[in-house]
Amino acid sequence: MVGNDLVDLNEARRTSNWQRPRYLDKIFTSNEQGYIKDAENSFRMIWRLWSMKEAAYKLYTQIYPNRFYNPLGFECEVTDQSGLVKFKDFLCYVETKETLHYILSEARLNPQSLGSTIIKFRCTGQREQSEELKARLLHGVDDSYQLKKNKMGVPSLTNGKQLLSVSLTHHGSYGAFVTDHCFRNGDESIGNEAV
Amino acid sequence: MDREQLITKLKPIIKPYVQDEEAFKNLSEDTDFVNDLKINSANLVDIILDIEDEFDIRLENEDMEQMLDVKSAMNIVTSKIGK
Repeated sequence: MVGNDLVDLNEARRTSNWQRPRYLDKIFTSNEQGYIKDAENSFRMIWRLWSMKEAAYKLYTQIYPNRFYNPLGFECEVTDQSGLVKFKDFLCYVETKETLHYILSEARLNPQSLGSTIIKFRCTGQREQSEELKARLLHGVDDSYQLKKNKMGVPSLTNGKQLLSVSLTHHGSYGAFVTDHCFRNGDESIGNEAV
Repeated sequence: MDREQLITKLKPIIKPYVQDEEAFKNLSEDTDFVNDLKINSANLVDIILDIEDEFDIRLENEDMEQMLDVKSAMNIVTSKIGK
Protein backbone atom coordinates (compact mmCIF):
# COMPACT_ATOMS: atom_id res chain seq x y z
CA MET A 1 0.00 0.00 0.00
CA VAL A 2 1.15 3.48 -0.72
CA GLY A 3 0.24 7.11 -0.08
CA ASN A 4 1.78 10.01 -1.97
CA ASP A 5 1.72 13.79 -1.88
CA LEU A 6 3.17 16.44 -4.15
CA VAL A 7 3.75 20.11 -3.36
CA ASP A 8 4.18 22.54 -6.25
CA LEU A 9 6.63 25.00 -4.73
CA ASN A 10 5.47 27.96 -6.81
CA GLU A 11 1.90 27.26 -5.79
CA ALA A 12 2.93 26.94 -2.13
CA ARG A 13 4.79 30.24 -2.35
CA ARG A 14 1.77 31.89 -3.90
CA THR A 15 -1.01 30.46 -1.72
CA SER A 16 0.51 29.92 1.73
CA ASN A 17 2.28 32.28 4.09
CA TRP A 18 4.14 30.14 6.60
CA GLN A 19 5.45 33.23 8.35
CA ARG A 20 2.05 34.30 9.61
CA PRO A 21 1.70 34.16 13.40
CA ARG A 22 0.92 30.72 14.91
CA TYR A 23 1.10 29.01 11.51
CA LEU A 24 4.02 26.69 12.27
CA ASP A 25 2.74 25.87 15.77
CA LYS A 26 -0.54 24.60 14.32
CA ILE A 27 1.13 22.08 12.00
CA PHE A 28 4.62 21.25 13.20
CA THR A 29 5.92 19.75 16.45
CA SER A 30 8.82 21.44 18.24
CA ASN A 31 11.18 18.79 16.81
CA GLU A 32 9.97 19.56 13.29
CA GLN A 33 10.27 23.28 13.91
CA GLY A 34 13.89 22.52 14.83
CA TYR A 35 14.43 20.96 11.38
CA ILE A 36 12.85 24.03 9.79
CA LYS A 37 14.98 26.46 11.79
CA ASP A 38 18.21 24.56 11.12
CA ALA A 39 17.54 23.92 7.43
CA GLU A 40 19.56 25.66 4.75
CA ASN A 41 16.25 26.50 3.14
CA SER A 42 13.39 26.69 5.66
CA PHE A 43 10.75 27.07 2.97
CA ARG A 44 11.73 23.77 1.33
CA MET A 45 11.93 21.96 4.68
CA ILE A 46 8.42 23.15 5.57
CA TRP A 47 6.97 21.72 2.37
CA ARG A 48 9.01 18.57 2.58
CA LEU A 49 7.64 17.89 6.07
CA TRP A 50 4.15 18.81 4.93
CA SER A 51 4.28 16.38 1.99
CA MET A 52 5.55 13.64 4.32
CA LYS A 53 2.62 14.19 6.69
CA GLU A 54 0.11 14.18 3.85
CA ALA A 55 1.54 11.04 2.24
CA ALA A 56 1.48 9.29 5.63
CA TYR A 57 -2.13 10.40 6.21
CA LYS A 58 -3.13 8.99 2.83
CA LEU A 59 -1.52 5.65 3.65
CA TYR A 60 -3.03 5.63 7.15
CA THR A 61 -6.57 6.25 5.90
CA GLN A 62 -6.29 3.40 3.39
CA ILE A 63 -5.59 1.04 6.25
CA TYR A 64 -7.90 2.67 8.82
CA PRO A 65 -10.67 4.35 6.81
CA ASN A 66 -11.41 7.70 8.41
CA ARG A 67 -11.29 11.43 7.72
CA PHE A 68 -9.75 14.02 9.99
CA TYR A 69 -7.38 16.97 9.98
CA ASN A 70 -4.46 16.44 12.31
CA PRO A 71 -1.17 17.36 10.64
CA LEU A 72 0.43 18.00 14.03
CA GLY A 73 -0.24 14.39 15.05
CA PHE A 74 1.82 12.96 12.18
CA GLU A 75 5.34 13.39 13.52
CA CYS A 76 8.25 13.36 11.09
CA GLU A 77 11.86 12.34 11.44
CA VAL A 78 14.11 13.11 8.49
CA THR A 79 17.49 12.01 7.16
CA ASP A 80 18.70 12.88 3.67
CA GLN A 81 15.79 12.03 1.38
CA SER A 82 14.30 9.40 3.68
CA GLY A 83 12.16 9.76 6.73
CA LEU A 84 9.78 8.22 9.22
CA VAL A 85 6.33 9.40 10.13
CA LYS A 86 4.61 8.33 13.34
CA PHE A 87 0.97 8.78 14.21
CA LYS A 88 -0.02 7.26 17.56
CA ASP A 89 1.03 3.57 17.16
CA PHE A 90 1.26 3.82 13.39
CA LEU A 91 4.67 4.08 11.74
CA CYS A 92 5.56 4.41 8.08
CA TYR A 93 8.59 5.01 5.89
CA VAL A 94 8.68 7.98 3.58
CA GLU A 95 10.88 8.67 0.58
CA THR A 96 11.04 12.18 -0.83
CA LYS A 97 12.12 13.61 -4.15
CA GLU A 98 12.91 17.31 -4.44
CA THR A 99 13.37 19.34 -7.60
CA LEU A 100 13.46 23.06 -8.23
CA HIS A 101 9.72 22.99 -8.91
CA TYR A 102 8.16 20.41 -6.63
CA ILE A 103 8.57 18.09 -3.67
CA LEU A 104 7.07 14.60 -3.78
CA SER A 105 6.78 12.18 -0.87
CA GLU A 106 5.68 8.56 -0.80
CA ALA A 107 4.74 6.67 2.36
CA ARG A 108 4.81 2.89 2.75
CA LEU A 109 4.87 0.38 5.58
CA ASN A 110 8.31 -0.81 4.53
CA PRO A 111 11.20 1.17 3.07
CA GLN A 112 11.00 1.13 -0.71
CA SER A 113 12.11 3.34 -3.58
CA LEU A 114 9.81 5.88 -5.20
CA GLY A 115 7.24 4.65 -7.72
CA SER A 116 5.16 7.72 -8.53
CA THR A 117 4.59 8.93 -12.06
CA ILE A 118 4.79 12.72 -12.03
CA ILE A 119 3.06 14.83 -14.64
CA LYS A 120 3.03 18.50 -15.50
CA PHE A 121 -0.51 19.42 -16.47
CA ARG A 122 -1.25 20.60 -19.97
CA CYS A 123 -4.57 22.09 -18.96
CA THR A 124 -5.50 24.59 -16.26
CA GLY A 125 -8.42 24.41 -13.85
CA GLN A 126 -8.90 22.05 -10.94
CA ARG A 127 -11.48 19.80 -12.62
CA GLU A 128 -9.67 19.45 -15.95
CA GLN A 129 -6.38 18.67 -14.21
CA SER A 130 -8.05 16.12 -12.01
CA GLU A 131 -9.50 14.43 -15.11
CA GLU A 132 -6.12 14.50 -16.86
CA LEU A 133 -4.47 12.86 -13.85
CA LYS A 134 -7.10 10.09 -13.69
CA ALA A 135 -6.85 9.49 -17.45
CA ARG A 136 -3.07 9.13 -17.20
CA LEU A 137 -3.43 6.70 -14.31
CA LEU A 138 -5.99 4.54 -16.11
CA HIS A 139 -3.96 4.60 -19.32
CA GLY A 140 -1.15 2.82 -17.48
CA VAL A 141 -3.21 -0.10 -16.19
CA ASP A 142 -5.26 -2.87 -17.79
CA ASP A 143 -8.52 -1.66 -19.38
CA SER A 144 -10.61 -3.68 -16.95
CA TYR A 145 -9.61 -1.50 -13.98
CA GLN A 146 -11.80 1.27 -12.67
CA LEU A 147 -10.96 4.00 -10.20
CA LYS A 148 -13.28 3.95 -7.18
CA LYS A 149 -13.55 6.02 -4.04
CA ASN A 150 -14.99 4.79 -0.76
CA LYS A 151 -17.21 6.89 1.53
CA MET A 152 -14.16 8.46 3.11
CA GLY A 153 -12.86 9.53 -0.30
CA VAL A 154 -10.07 6.94 -0.27
CA PRO A 155 -9.38 5.80 -3.85
CA SER A 156 -8.62 2.30 -5.12
CA LEU A 157 -8.31 0.57 -8.48
CA THR A 158 -10.38 -2.53 -9.05
CA ASN A 159 -11.45 -4.83 -11.89
CA GLY A 160 -13.90 -6.78 -9.76
CA LYS A 161 -11.36 -9.49 -8.93
CA GLN A 162 -8.22 -7.64 -8.01
CA LEU A 163 -7.83 -4.55 -5.87
CA LEU A 164 -4.88 -2.21 -6.15
CA SER A 165 -3.83 0.46 -3.68
CA VAL A 166 -3.62 3.82 -5.42
CA SER A 167 -2.72 7.33 -4.38
CA LEU A 168 -3.26 10.49 -6.41
CA THR A 169 -1.94 13.95 -5.65
CA HIS A 170 -2.47 17.26 -7.37
CA HIS A 171 -1.11 20.69 -6.53
CA GLY A 172 -0.60 23.73 -8.74
CA SER A 173 0.77 22.70 -12.13
CA TYR A 174 1.83 19.20 -11.10
CA GLY A 175 0.20 15.90 -10.30
CA ALA A 176 1.38 12.39 -9.49
CA PHE A 177 -0.05 8.92 -9.06
CA VAL A 178 1.26 5.62 -7.76
CA THR A 179 -0.17 2.12 -7.43
CA ASP A 180 0.79 -0.78 -5.23
CA HIS A 181 -0.47 -4.13 -3.95
CA CYS A 182 -3.31 -3.96 -1.54
CA PHE A 183 -4.46 -5.67 1.58
CA ARG A 184 -7.51 -5.17 3.68
CA ASN A 185 -7.50 -4.08 7.28
CA GLY A 186 -7.38 -7.18 9.46
CA ASP A 187 -4.99 -9.10 7.22
CA GLU A 188 -2.16 -10.62 9.13
CA SER A 189 0.28 -9.22 6.65
CA ILE A 190 0.06 -5.68 8.00
CA GLY A 191 3.52 -4.45 8.66
CA ASN A 192 5.15 -7.87 8.32
CA GLU A 193 5.41 -8.44 4.65
CA ALA A 194 6.89 -6.52 1.77
CA VAL A 195 3.94 -4.67 0.27
CA MET B 1 -25.21 35.03 16.87
CA ASP B 2 -27.61 32.71 15.01
CA ARG B 3 -26.52 30.11 12.44
CA GLU B 4 -27.34 32.38 9.51
CA GLN B 5 -25.23 35.24 10.87
CA LEU B 6 -22.41 32.83 11.58
CA ILE B 7 -22.41 31.38 8.08
CA THR B 8 -22.40 34.94 6.68
CA LYS B 9 -19.30 35.68 8.74
CA LEU B 10 -17.57 32.46 7.69
CA LYS B 11 -18.11 32.88 3.96
CA PRO B 12 -15.54 35.66 3.36
CA ILE B 13 -13.03 33.71 5.48
CA ILE B 14 -13.42 30.60 3.32
CA LYS B 15 -13.67 32.34 -0.07
CA PRO B 16 -9.96 33.12 -0.75
CA TYR B 17 -9.05 29.42 -0.57
CA VAL B 18 -11.90 28.01 -2.66
CA GLN B 19 -10.96 26.24 -5.90
CA ASP B 20 -14.47 25.34 -6.99
CA GLU B 21 -16.44 28.58 -7.32
CA GLU B 22 -19.65 26.79 -8.34
CA ALA B 23 -19.66 24.79 -5.13
CA PHE B 24 -18.99 27.99 -3.17
CA LYS B 25 -22.09 29.64 -4.65
CA ASN B 26 -24.16 26.81 -3.19
CA LEU B 27 -22.42 26.84 0.18
CA SER B 28 -24.47 25.36 3.01
CA GLU B 29 -23.79 23.79 6.39
CA ASP B 30 -23.20 20.48 4.62
CA THR B 31 -20.49 21.81 2.32
CA ASP B 32 -17.18 19.97 2.68
CA PHE B 33 -14.03 22.10 2.49
CA VAL B 34 -11.95 19.51 0.66
CA ASN B 35 -14.43 17.34 -1.29
CA ASP B 36 -16.78 20.14 -2.38
CA LEU B 37 -14.79 23.38 -2.37
CA LYS B 38 -11.53 21.62 -3.35
CA ILE B 39 -9.63 23.64 -0.78
CA ASN B 40 -6.05 22.48 -0.51
CA SER B 41 -5.38 20.82 2.83
CA ALA B 42 -2.42 23.17 3.37
CA ASN B 43 -4.90 26.06 3.34
CA LEU B 44 -7.19 24.55 5.98
CA VAL B 45 -4.74 25.86 8.55
CA ASP B 46 -5.16 29.35 7.07
CA ILE B 47 -8.92 29.08 7.49
CA ILE B 48 -8.39 27.98 11.09
CA LEU B 49 -6.07 30.93 11.78
CA ASP B 50 -8.47 33.35 10.05
CA ILE B 51 -11.34 32.02 12.18
CA GLU B 52 -9.23 32.48 15.31
CA ASP B 53 -8.53 36.09 14.35
CA GLU B 54 -12.07 36.92 13.30
CA PHE B 55 -13.76 35.53 16.41
CA ASP B 56 -10.89 36.16 18.81
CA ILE B 57 -10.75 32.52 19.86
CA ARG B 58 -8.08 29.81 19.87
CA LEU B 59 -8.62 26.34 18.41
CA GLU B 60 -6.86 23.37 19.96
CA ASN B 61 -5.59 20.42 17.94
CA GLU B 62 -8.73 18.41 18.92
CA ASP B 63 -10.90 21.18 17.43
CA MET B 64 -8.83 21.26 14.25
CA GLU B 65 -9.29 17.53 13.79
CA GLN B 66 -12.99 18.06 12.94
CA MET B 67 -12.49 21.06 10.67
CA LEU B 68 -13.42 19.44 7.36
CA ASP B 69 -16.79 21.01 6.66
CA VAL B 70 -18.83 24.14 7.27
CA LYS B 71 -21.01 22.55 9.93
CA SER B 72 -18.05 21.46 12.04
CA ALA B 73 -16.48 24.90 11.74
CA MET B 74 -19.76 26.48 12.89
CA ASN B 75 -20.09 24.10 15.83
CA ILE B 76 -16.54 24.74 16.97
CA VAL B 77 -16.90 28.51 16.74
CA THR B 78 -20.25 28.42 18.57
CA SER B 79 -18.80 26.35 21.40
CA LYS B 80 -15.79 28.66 21.74
CA ILE B 81 -17.50 32.03 21.61
CA GLY B 82 -20.09 30.83 24.12
CA LYS B 83 -17.35 30.47 26.72
